Amino acid sequence: MLKATYIFLTILLAWVSELYAQPPAYNYNLEEETNIYKHVADIKVITEERNVHLSEIYSERPVILVLVFTRCTGVCNPLLMRLKENFAFINSRSEFTILVLSFDPRDSLEDMQSMAKRFTLEEDPQWRFAISREMDELNQSIGFNPVWDSRRKQFDHAALLVGVNKNGFITKKLIGLRNQEALTAMIREINDVFIPSYPLPNNKQFFSCFNYDPATGKNSPGWGLLILSLPSMLTLLLVLVIGNIYSHKHPRS
Amino acid sequence: MERTKLARITSIWIIVILVLFILSIVFGILMRLSQGKVISQSPVSFYSLMTTHGLTMIGIWFVAGMAGVNYLMQRYVFAPVKSNIFALLLTIIGVVLLWVTTFVGNFHTGWTFLYPLPFKIAWAQWATPLFLVSLVILGVGWLVWSVSMLIAILKKYPITRALAWQHFERNPSFETPPFILITVITLIGVITCLLAAVLLLGLFFAEYFSSGTFVNDPLLMKNLTYFFGHTIANEMLYLGLATLYELLPEVSGRPKWKTSWYVALAWNCTLVFILTAFFHHMYMDFVQPEGFQIVGQLASYLASLPAVAVTVFSTLTLIYRNPIRWSLTNTLYFMGVAGWVIGGLGAVIDATIVNNFVLHNTLWVPAHFHTYNAMGNVLFSLAFFNWAANGFTGSTESSKANRLKIALLLIGGTGFLLMFYLGGAYSIPRRFNIYPGEFSLAAPFAWIAAIFATVYLVAILIFFWNISRKCLKLLTYS
Repeated sequence: MLKATYIFLTILLAWVSELYAQPPAYNYNLEEETNIYKHVADIKVITEERNVHLSEIYSERPVILVLVFTRCTGVCNPLLMRLKENFAFINSRSEFTILVLSFDPRDSLEDMQSMAKRFTLEEDPQWRFAISREMDELNQSIGFNPVWDSRRKQFDHAALLVGVNKNGFITKKLIGLRNQEALTAMIREINDVFIPSYPLPNNKQFFSCFNYDPATGKNSPGWGLLILSLPSMLTLLLVLVIGNIYSHKHPRS
Repeated sequence: MERTKLARITSIWIIVILVLFILSIVFGILMRLSQGKVISQSPVSFYSLMTTHGLTMIGIWFVAGMAGVNYLMQRYVFAPVKSNIFALLLTIIGVVLLWVTTFVGNFHTGWTFLYPLPFKIAWAQWATPLFLVSLVILGVGWLVWSVSMLIAILKKYPITRALAWQHFERNPSFETPPFILITVITLIGVITCLLAAVLLLGLFFAEYFSSGTFVNDPLLMKNLTYFFGHTIANEMLYLGLATLYELLPEVSGRPKWKTSWYVALAWNCTLVFILTAFFHHMYMDFVQPEGFQIVGQLASYLASLPAVAVTVFSTLTLIYRNPIRWSLTNTLYFMGVAGWVIGGLGAVIDATIVNNFVLHNTLWVPAHFHTYNAMGNVLFSLAFFNWAANGFTGSTESSKANRLKIALLLIGGTGFLLMFYLGGAYSIPRRFNIYPGEFSLAAPFAWIAAIFATVYLVAILIFFWNISRKCLKLLTYS
């Protein structure tokens, strides 16, 4: 009985300690601006067709890098599913390559191919599934820090998309499951299309020319426009005042 | 007494302007030599020179026009003298402070000092406030001067007559001299753009002293910058044209030009449209609504083309099959009209939205504004300086020396400008201190331009020698 109790308590303790164990420290650096306009590392990539340098892929067409691993029980599958759905609706299929790259050293090319089959993407020329033995170098260049969680036998990682233009520059990063609008912006960025951006009015800015409403996407005139018209109005007033002051001096004809 | 006083002040203006002009040309040549890889300059030195060159040139050719108009004004009204002296003093102080900020403080935002560049301190801390103070000093002097000149005219002419509106009626009972019409149109524009500068500088100071509690809207600041900058750069040309309308027929031995309905209409168009033409500087600012961009393009046409048409027509009818007494003054005026028209066409081409997408920030931009300044407005002012200096001393000209000066101006000016235009045609960017290897022709164009600019400088030095001697003679004559 005592022995049984001891075994039960040991198992219970092990279970509780497992339950309350601290997860590995992961740096949730969710800033999409890091490493922007830096060169992506030109690593060797193993694809179904051949072994290539990443530069050979992006120099043909800009690349959207998708970082996943096949044993992922977390965000990888939803990420790929969402990407597949969104890209099916985005009407710019020929302007980029989607390179799904495993960052798990345990993954083989066959694992990646079976993942492609699972998503019925193995025949799609725009999608390429690959592995690399130089992932550390790539991760460093794109600011991606997956952390191995030995308890769950999983990588703790961000759902990261990295846009690389034809010159190998990281022009856009997206973290999380994103909508078509964000993906379209990424496609434009990797194709070096100008993306307009402008600071929104804030409480320190009293004299904006236009007040932009992000909800409606419409502009309304602001105090700045009044300031812009002030010089003309003041001059008109000045001319009228001067003219009026000296009007009595003017000859009648 | 007042006439002599005005002549003396004008003499000082002429000497000061020519000295600053010569130094600014040297700065320009140094920049082109640096771009041509003939000399080596640090980026800071290059952009400090660029800032000084741009602001000084704009300033001196504005005051040159003002001094000329102020001097000729006495033919019609009581010309202001005190405000003229006040402006002269403040201009000298302002320019000295400006040069201290650029050469001692290394302030180097470019002449447009586009927001928020002055606050991105890459120079001495004190240089930003001192730079803004120097502009305030210049602005105050010029604003007081402009308003006093406008008052002087409006004392005699009701505003409707000063604007020649009676010429829109049949058989007007009163004729407004073209000089008065153009001067009033221009002064109204000058006052407006100087008030825009007052607001601009006020907003700069407000942010500077707010300790971060107030920030400006970049769109408003850019609009105000070009409201001031573009407008004053154009108005100074019109000041030169006012002197042309007054002096060209006179020195050519032809009857004075008269104001007709189409002359009045053309210049009234200029008054209205020049104040909105600056929107063409905002084509790349996508947050500016499209309507403003269209206004910018239309106003660019309507501000310049009518005035160009009547001036060219008047100039050509003056010389066509008419006996002309050619002198240095009317030759300079005639060449200046050609430079103004060519540069103006370049400006209108650039102000057309579809072209601007190609030409924006290429050397086409300095090409056109150097054309209507170096071979347009500068020649108008040199014509006036030459005429005035001869008048001060009653001296005559040597036609041989005149031919040399004209030839040097033409060769130097044309060659210098051609390199800018070729640079624009090859899409070479402007404002680069060193050109990347992709622009293989940029450096050769730059050093060839420097050679031609040196020829132009030689011509200006001869002008300076001849004109300033006469001015000094007047000043030293008791």
